[in-house]
Amino acid sequence: MRSTVDSTLKCALVLIFSILVVCVVWQVVSRFILGTPSTTTDELARFLFMWLALIGGAYTLGQGRHLAIDLLTLQLSGKRKLLSELVILGVVGLFCAIVMVYGGGQLVAKTLASGQVTPSLQIPMGYVYGAIPFAGLVMIYYCLSFALDLGSGESKQADEPAFGPLD
Amino acid sequence: ATLRLNHNNPPEHPVHISMQIMADRVAELTDGDVKIRIYPNGQLGTQRESMELVQNCSLEMARSNASELEAFEESYSALNLPYIFQSEEHFNDVITGEIGADILNASSEQGFRGVAFYTEGARSFYGDRAINSPADLKGMKVRVQPSPSAIRMVELLGGNPTPISWGELYSALQQGVVDGAENNPTALTTARHGEVAKHFSLDEHTMIPSVVVISSCAYDALTDEQRTALRQAALESMEAHRKSWNAASDAAIEEAQKELGVTVHTVEKAPFVEAVLPMHEEVAAKSEKLADLIARIKAAVN
Amino acid sequence: MASAALLLFGAFGLLTAIGVPIAFAIGAAAAITFLLFMDFNQSVFIVAQQMASGLDSFTLLAIPFFILAGNIMNRGGIAMRLIAFAKVLGGRLPGALAHCNVLANMMFGSISGSAVAAAAAVGGVMSPLQKKEGYDPAYSAAVNIASCPTGLLIPPSATLIVYSLITGGTSIAALFVAGYLPGILMGLSLMIVAGIIAKKRGYPLAPRSTWQEVFRATADAILPLGLIIIVMGGIISGAFTATEASAIAVVYTLLLALVWYREIGVKDLPSIITESAVTTSIVLLMIGASIAMSRAMAFGDIPFALSDALLSISENPIVILLAINIALLIVGTFMDMTPALLIFTPIFMPVVRDLGMDPVHFGIVMTFNLCIGICTPPVGSALFVGCSVGGTSISAVIRPLLPFYAVLFALLLLVTYVPAISLTLPRLLLGY
Ligand code: NA
Ligand code: NA
Repeated sequence: MRSTVDSTLKCALVLIFSILVVCVVWQVVSRFILGTPSTTTDELARFLFMWLALIGGAYTLGQGRHLAIDLLTLQLSGKRKLLSELVILGVVGLFCAIVMVYGGGQLVAKTLASGQVTPSLQIPMGYVYGAIPFAGLVMIYYCLSFALDLGSGESKQADEPAFGPLD
Repeated sequence: ATLRLNHNNPPEHPVHISMQIMADRVAELTDGDVKIRIYPNGQLGTQRESMELVQNCSLEMARSNASELEAFEESYSALNLPYIFQSEEHFNDVITGEIGADILNASSEQGFRGVAFYTEGARSFYGDRAINSPADLKGMKVRVQPSPSAIRMVELLGGNPTPISWGELYSALQQGVVDGAENNPTALTTARHGEVAKHFSLDEHTMIPSVVVISSCAYDALTDEQRTALRQAALESMEAHRKSWNAASDAAIEEAQKELGVTVHTVEKAPFVEAVLPMHEEVAAKSEKLADLIARIKAAVN
Repeated sequence: MASAALLLFGAFGLLTAIGVPIAFAIGAAAAITFLLFMDFNQSVFIVAQQMASGLDSFTLLAIPFFILAGNIMNRGGIAMRLIAFAKVLGGRLPGALAHCNVLANMMFGSISGSAVAAAAAVGGVMSPLQKKEGYDPAYSAAVNIASCPTGLLIPPSATLIVYSLITGGTSIAALFVAGYLPGILMGLSLMIVAGIIAKKRGYPLAPRSTWQEVFRATADAILPLGLIIIVMGGIISGAFTATEASAIAVVYTLLLALVWYREIGVKDLPSIITESAVTTSIVLLMIGASIAMSRAMAFGDIPFALSDALLSISENPIVILLAINIALLIVGTFMDMTPALLIFTPIFMPVVRDLGMDPVHFGIVMTFNLCIGICTPPVGSALFVGCSVGGTSISAVIRPLLPFYAVLFALLLLVTYVPAISLTLPRLLLGY
């Protein structure tokens, strides 16, 4: 299951990133070479960028690669370490549930209800903000999945911190 | 109650000063019961963000402009049409009168109401060359705000509308990424565009006012007397603002000419008006409400 | 507002100490602080909004592209050729690669005007090579982090444009020219420190190259160096903006690696892109959350409280300027550059104007100060990017950063108390 989520997110990231590159390159080509500047690429790029950052953030959480300061947690071992891992996952999961899913969900609902559209593309702003609750949901899934691994005592997971330095 | 008001200009800006006049006056009229606290430089968010916060009751007041507000309430697009106003008097009659009040109140269902309009003068083209007729815009890359009406207007005039973010515009003008832009004369001095764009052509195509809005939650919590006081304070500050804006605008033109070496061109407007006239019908065709507003604005010329 | 400050910093400190990833710790601290000024629903709304909308800025858009271009260069054999070239040029200097890194940041940052873009682009290429040469990754990341903001002072600079807008139109031309000397001094002094440390640690000196080797390395590096010509030439000639240049860099490196060198194939692209997306997101999630934190500080009037406290200390101009600098350094630890500029410039401007300080000079002092801030933990965009592309952790990079902080602070005082460093060039060249 987790590998399916991983690879789905990976596909989405590759797709969004590729469109983003094409979009900005087209902006240069249309203005500098064709002389008829595109009036939509600028906005499209900015919104794809938000999606890239948030979906990428969810994928990164799944890889356990968000930066944390591990000075204290490095000293721990055994049960204490397990507990500290669970607390961290709990805090991250709560943040995602309360701020990203609940708060972000309200943001999406309200901007859709008020009918706000983006200036150039005229798409509902709520769709742009949809990235927040979406990423939040995926992050909650990863937190639960990591917590289950910890609970079932999968030793490899328990030894390796879910978050920490990059190498 | 203390109402927080967010806007994205520096505290020396004429709009900030006029909003402070409104704040002082409303405190005076309500014996200090209603205070407005102004946060300059977008400390609490960008214009779009603060509109969203206002709609969610997280922020009481914000200053935006008629162009950005199009995304939140369509009535504002009537004000953004090129050459919809025949003169400065016409413009002032509309924003201080019944039509202006109707537009300010039109958004009550969207979670906010307009409180005041502040003129930001007329916008004109400027750049590396004089624009004496629409023919001079042919093939010219003109930076526009990312709004459908600004894009359509430049298209109708024969130019190539180019959305570039405000923060990148100075460099874009300097390096020639765009050939020109459009704004009021203070852009030459406050944004220093006069350092990199040496021709300002007074075609005065649009008059897009600043708009101060209040969230419906904050408005509903005010008593009837407090609402009347707010309206009175707003109208008084709008009157003061008109004079201070004109002074600031004249000073900007003089500074741009004398210190930055910008040439200011007066322009025969008729060919510009003729070219953009189709826009009035296009926008009127969008809804009955807009058609009615446009007709009323045009009828308000005396 | 004292309670706001306490809550914000307390919550943040506690969460990071127990090991919560920084992005989430910042976001949670901001959400808790907002509860002081608004109800629960409103405060989670505003934090969620800022996490996405805080990223809606043109300087940030360059980050993913330069990170991607850097990864393509590493995997596609481009970086390797550049480094061979750098070694024949400066191989006899202690810490030659570190000097390359600083110089590249000065050039690149100068043109792109973005510290984080420079850190991503230059660090992305340089750090694997430095590792190969036996440099400690934490040291190379520290050099990259400390030197990436030089381009914010060396023109053109988006930061100085923002400062001009906030102050109601300080001459951008004057600010740009004023930034040259402080920016170059910053780069040179960092190179001196980097060289001393490299010598102490005994990082390898390349053997003296033969003319044949020099010729070969130069010939090999011509196409990779073409990237610099295309990116810089394109910006200067007006073909594209600094942000768009980042996407052009991706296309150029891709063509070179895929078609010319053929060191990677289309099948390698998904993993390169995913890797770049991860690095990008690590940084951007933290930046989005820190924008929410800046808003929480503004709502809580923390900036005013801080500046009031500091400015009440003395009436002596030298002490006031020192107090302002210290206040900004403290601010810089927690706040990203643009919000710090937006909030504090109007607070301090009237004070320094009373002292008779020139607004151009103050703009340079402010920018210089906040350049240090983006390199300091716990919240610093340059620090975040530098650690991510350098493959090192924030806790590991602090120690090697200390000597760089020290020299930057000394230089900051020099720039503050010697206006001539900033104002001589604008006076000579522009008659300012
Ligand atoms: Na620069
Ligand atoms: Na910092």
